[in-house]
Formats: sequence, C-alpha cells, structure tokens
Amino acid sequence: MQPKLKSKVRCADREIGEVTNVIVDPLSHEISHIVVSMNGSGERQVAMGQVQAVTDNFVELRSSSSEIVALPPFKRDEYVTTHEVEIPHLEENIHVSPGEVLVPFPELEKSVKRRTFFMNLTNVIGFLIGLPIAFPVLRYLMKPMYQPFDNDWLKIGNIGKIKQEDIGVQFKYKKKVKEAYMPESEIEKNVWMLKATPTVLNQVYQGKDMEFRDAAGKTVWTNKKDIPYVAFSGKCPHLGCGFKWRKHKVLGQVFLCPCHLSIYDASGKVLDGPAPRPLDALPIRVSAGGEVEIIDMEFKAGTKAQIRII
Amino acid sequence: MQQATPTSSEATALEKVIAFVDERVGLKTLQAKMLNEPVPGGSRWAYIFGSVLLFIFIMQAVTGILLMFYYVPTADHAYASTQYIIHEVDYGWFLLSYHFWGSTAMVICVFAHMSQVFLWGAYKKPRELIWLVGLALFGIVMGFGFTGYLLPWDQRAYWATTVGVEIMDKTPLLGDFMARFLKGGPTPGQMTLSRFFVIHVMILPAALMGLAGLHLFLFRTAGPAGPFRGSPEELKAKTDYFFPRQIWKDIVGMVTVFLTICVMAFWEPVVLLEEATPDPGDYHPEPEWYFLFLFQLLRLKMFSGEFGQFVGAMALPGAFMALLAALPFIDRDPERNIFKRPIALIGWIVVMTAILIFTVSAIINREFLD
Repeated sequence: MQPKLKSKVRCADREIGEVTNVIVDPLSHEISHIVVSMNGSGERQVAMGQVQAVTDNFVELRSSSSEIVALPPFKRDEYVTTHEVEIPHLEENIHVSPGEVLVPFPELEKSVKRRTFFMNLTNVIGFLIGLPIAFPVLRYLMKPMYQPFDNDWLKIGNIGKIKQEDIGVQFKYKKKVKEAYMPESEIEKNVWMLKATPTVLNQVYQGKDMEFRDAAGKTVWTNKKDIPYVAFSGKCPHLGCGFKWRKHKVLGQVFLCPCHLSIYDASGKVLDGPAPRPLDALPIRVSAGGEVEIIDMEFKAGTKAQIRII
Repeated sequence: MQQATPTSSEATALEKVIAFVDERVGLKTLQAKMLNEPVPGGSRWAYIFGSVLLFIFIMQAVTGILLMFYYVPTADHAYASTQYIIHEVDYGWFLLSYHFWGSTAMVICVFAHMSQVFLWGAYKKPRELIWLVGLALFGIVMGFGFTGYLLPWDQRAYWATTVGVEIMDKTPLLGDFMARFLKGGPTPGQMTLSRFFVIHVMILPAALMGLAGLHLFLFRTAGPAGPFRGSPEELKAKTDYFFPRQIWKDIVGMVTVFLTICVMAFWEPVVLLEEATPDPGDYHPEPEWYFLFLFQLLRLKMFSGEFGQFVGAMALPGAFMALLAALPFIDRDPERNIFKRPIALIGWIVVMTAILIFTVSAIINREFLD
C-alpha cells in the first residue's frame, strides 16, 4: 500500500504529524520519501525505508519522534511538482490523492545558476538565426515588385475605324509581355479612342498640352492640345475594371464602368459614381496614314492624383 | 474437425494491436478525453457549426489536394488545366464543383458559427481568446475565398483579383507595398498567380490548421459555455457528454452539408468564363457572392472619391473587425441572454439586414448592366 496524503504519521512513541507530499523516483516511479508536516514545527523528509506499515489513514514509522525531529528540514526548493516535469505513465504507478506529488530536482540542474539568462540567451540566439535571413527573404519575395516603365510605342489600329466625333470607340490590341521566366506571351488590352470636337478636346486638355514623364521625371511625350484624337486607358480610375461606351437613360452616351458604376462623359470627366479622377488620357501619335500609336501606360486606380505604375 | 472459436477471455488480433498501442500512448484515455466532454445543459443543434466547419475544411483539403494532381499554376496553363479537370478528367467536374460549393458552405457556416457565439454571448469571459482566434480564422476563410478565386485564371478570377488588390492598395502607408507584394509586380500576371497559389495551398492551410487547433484547445480549456438560460441545477440535470448525443447531431449536420454540397455540384457545376486577359470584353466583373455586399457598398455615392473610397473599402470594414475583436473587452456584462442584451440583438439584426440588402441590390443591379 502506498502512503496517502493527509494520512497521520505515527512514530514508535507518538503521532507527530501528517503526510503533506510524497516524493517519487522519476526513473523507477516508486515513492522514495514522504514529507511529514509536524503540526506547525516544520517539515521533515522521511525515506520510505523508515516506514514500517501503511494503513488507510496511518503511516507508521520505525524511528522515534526525536529521531525524526533531528532530521534536517525539508528543502522544498530541491523539488518540482509532477505538473512541472514530463514523466510519462507516472499516474499509473502512483495512487496518491489529493495533493502534490513531488519529484527531486536533478543534481545537475541545482548547480545551474542564471536560468533566466539562459532562457533569454536561447531567445536571442533564435532571433540571431532569424535576423540575417529576414532581409534576404524579403528581397527574394520583392524581386518582381518594381519594374522600369515601358515607354515603347505600340500600334493599335487605324483612325479610319472612328466614324463619328465625340463617340467612344474601343481599340483592342495585343501587347507582348515577358514576365520573369515565362515565355513571351501576348495579352489582350484595349483603349477607348475619341475623335473630339474642339469643345470636348478643350475639356480633356484644359487648354494645355499634356506631358508624360518617365520614372526619372523626364518628359517622354507631349500630347498637343489641338490634336483631336484622344486615347483613354481602358482601366477605370476607380478600382481598375474595364469601362464601356454605353447609352445612359438620363445622361445619354457615356463611359460607364460596370463594376462600381462610375460614369464619365466623352471627355473623361466624372459625371456620377465613385471615381476619384477623370479617365486617363494616354500618349498618342497618329501617322499620316492614320495609324494610331500609343504608349501603353497604366496608372494606379482609386487615387485623386495620377500615379503611373507601368 | 475442431474450430477455433475465440472465447471472451481470448483477445482477437485487432484487440491485441489496440492494446499494444494503448499501452504505449494511452489511446483509450485520449479517446475518453475527446468524447467525454460534459456539455452544460445538454447537446443542441445550435452547437453543430464548429464540427461541421472542421468537416468542411477536411473535405476542402481532400478535394484541393486532388485538384492539384492536374492543375498547373502558370498563366499559360492554369486555365487549360482547369478546363482539362472539368471536361476531360473522370469526375474532375465533380471534385472541382465540390471544392467550389464547399467554399460557399464554409462561408455560410462561418457566419452561422459566429452568429451563434455572438447571440449566445459565448465570447464573454473566460472565452475572449477563443473569440479572437475565431476572428483570425474568419479572416483566413475569407483569404481562402479571395486567393482561390484567381486560380482558374478565367475572366471572373482575373477581375475579382484586380479589384480586390486595388482595394488593398488603399491601405494607408503600406498599401502600395502590400498590393505589389501580392501581385508580384505592378499589374496582375504570372507572379500574382504563383503567389496566390502558394498562399492558397500552403500558407493558409497551415495557418488554419494551427489556429483551428489553438481554437479547439482554448475551447476545451475553457469548456463549452452552454445555454444562456436556466439555473445551475437545471443545467446540471440536462448535462450530457459530447458523445453520443452531440456527436450524433454533428454527424447529421455534416451529412446534410455534404449532401447539399453534392447536390449543388451536380445541379450547378463550375463553368469557366473566357481565359483571363486585361480586356474584360462583355464580362461585367463581380466578386464571389460573399463579397458582393462590400462591392455594392463601394458603388454608393457617399464612398466616392479618394477619401470616400478609403472610408468604404478600408476604414468601415476595418473598424467593424476591430469592434468585433474588442467586443469581449467592451462588453463585460456577464449577462449572456440575448433577449436581455438589446444593443447586441439590434446590432446583429442591423448588420445581417444590411449585408442582405446590399447583396440583394448587387444582384438586382446586374439586370441594369446588360
């Protein structure tokens, strides 16, 4: 029978207290000691060899009470509870209840000072492993994020396609893209072309030539304010969907984006809906034969200012 | 001829194997701990959503892994490989459609689960951390929906991503970086597809598994909240274990969800649009249905312009999520009965009605666009 917690402890001569803890050997899972609390006059650690008999409510010791009192006081610091160490299958061998089962704190551990220091040092070393790879990882992932602007002229069709003034006409074109390791591919894009009457043209250019710059801020091209052909980027300045030339019940012929219902007039001015700025006019040049070329720029959507991203 | 009939004292081979494992890892104790969880006030149908979500996730993982056997995440093959799954591979259409409708079921059950916890007041002390981890899981489920939508690389996929990432771009300070980081460049392309693929099949599943484990651990540590009415004696009298009554209800829920997803997959299988391209053609971009209310919200005049858009796309949803996260710390009243928490009840009704109205108006708006 195993000693129970709270059992009274009887010496050869008299009762001296009760069991407050049992101490377990972490390897054999046997109870090696009991801790006896002597009714307020301290605790003593008594080896199981001293125990003569264990009954339901009593633990009887061989020694006399004076021998037990003469033992050194119980050093609680040298033990950890079974909740604080991982000892598999312990509960199958120890049938103690209720209260704490103690196991000795290993000798080698007792001599280790600065436990907090070692804990922190471990964290610091972990951090030092992570730190030098954080930047390379970030750079690794950032590789394709920023690319130089493409200022090449792109043929998109012939102005012969435009039959009426101030009417949006979609010009579809294919653009060759080479992305990272991928083979060069063609993507379909579109711009909305307009042959503008002087009134509408004035609304687009506000009486000034329109300049386009590269990343360094150098002027790449200037749209002259009196050239009647205007090309609007196919990307809606609200959140980047594709808009269309549509008949609106109240507003007549307009550019309408089906996503969030931004509506623009022929000059690109916002008539209704959530768009923060007018449509983006692109650099355009028209050859003598009527071939239209544009620089395929794209601007960030959702901003009041025009911020170029391609 | 003598036949060896095992007597009751003689263990079968299977029992021996089980005993062998049990001796070493305590299988039976583990099983008992899993099943013998007292449910205060007894099992209820309202409690099934957590288990159902776990079931849906497992099925999403299984169908997702199967889809990856054929799917190729490159801009020039994603569309073709998805079409191949739909039209050529035996039962490919079914697995893909199951995965698609499973995601819808997941979102519906997440809403139900969160509503149940909210209405029952189960987020209150000591369950604040379960609620917070749950919110993170909600974000992950939405992330799954957003990233998975791009993978078929059709027009629907391309435009939902284009608009979604443009919205992310509006985050103060970090927006431009975050949007480019996700896109892997200035505009959506191969790098975007690669990134969304990695996020969808590696990062989010790992995050979901970890957080769902934590969610369950915290739930088991705090214990189920139980009903919001009834005296301790009444609750005690009705209390039963997780097994068998609650598990039975959970299983019925799982079977119902499974059959519903199967029926939807048969009835409305996934059909792709044209391959993705920066020219939308006749397609009118629209996000997945559970983002429709947000989509419709951004159409409002009050959310126009750069600032209005920031309010509608960032500040409002951000403030709402922050409010949900702060909820257990603001609402410290231990009262859990929803009928004695008028602000909570009205708040829930208002939010749900608003989501419903905006979703329906987005659907009605479709007609006027054609």
